[in-house]
Amino acid sequence: MPQIDESTRIREAGSLDRPWVTVVWDDPVNLMSYVAYVFRSYFGVSAPEAERLMLQVHNNGRAVVATGNRESMERHVEAMHGYGLWATLDKAEE
Amino acid sequence: MMEFRREESGTVSAMFEPVEVDLLRHVASQLLQLLASVDTEDASMIAQPAIHRLLPDAYPDDPEAAAEFRRFTADGLIEGKIANAGVVLAALGDDERSPDSEWADAAGADASPHDPLPVPIVLSEPQVQSWLRTLTDLRLVVADRLQIDPTGVPHLDDEESQVVNEIYNWLGMVQESLVYAIDA
Repeated sequence: MPQIDESTRIREAGSLDRPWVTVVWDDPVNLMSYVAYVFRSYFGVSAPEAERLMLQVHNNGRAVVATGNRESMERHVEAMHGYGLWATLDKAEE
Repeated sequence: MMEFRREESGTVSAMFEPVEVDLLRHVASQLLQLLASVDTEDASMIAQPAIHRLLPDAYPDDPEAAAEFRRFTADGLIEGKIANAGVVLAALGDDERSPDSEWADAAGADASPHDPLPVPIVLSEPQVQSWLRTLTDLRLVVADRLQIDPTGVPHLDDEESQVVNEIYNWLGMVQESLVYAIDA
């Protein structure tokens, strides 16, 4: 089960290139309970953190759920599509 | 349907009415057919809203990067979705009704007096994963059919759509029950 690695995040953020992010978008179909479950089971975050991210998706329309290099973000987006979540890649904000 | 519960063995189980088994088998078969018909190199097919929602653009502002991402991932994603739907169908057992019956028939028919006994559905952890994903894919496809808007309100409101809307809500109930069972 892939985990968001804090050290990776910091290392990537410190490199010359801006890191990439995995963005999950709100959609009217997926259940809040399922989205929180996906965040917890795939990213290995705690239940409160999964809930926080899910609510951010729900209330703000989108949430950044992972940060890192492009290759690993593409892997996450592909996994999210496997779960049926609407996910995209973007460059991290400066 | 009775709620899914987690057993001590780690499996989760629920009792389905026979008509519910038939319904889920029917919609999962249709999903399977849809997925099997997808040619990921056919841009016009990928552009169809239901297919596009199953395989969304990974790079919304960069069509070239989105196309390349799809080239590397779409076939694998479709294969996975086909395999998941197959797992769902396998757990539902053999088809006893006509596979050609319309959704409306399957949803509208009361359980006949000939099949009164609920059917136990018992799922292992890997099977649960397939079920969760297939229920999502089903709802995404059905939502497109109902023209569900961003706020979750269906915009098709003819008689058949009301039946489909009931199926949509029922699929959500099954999924939520599964999530709660494995969360417990």
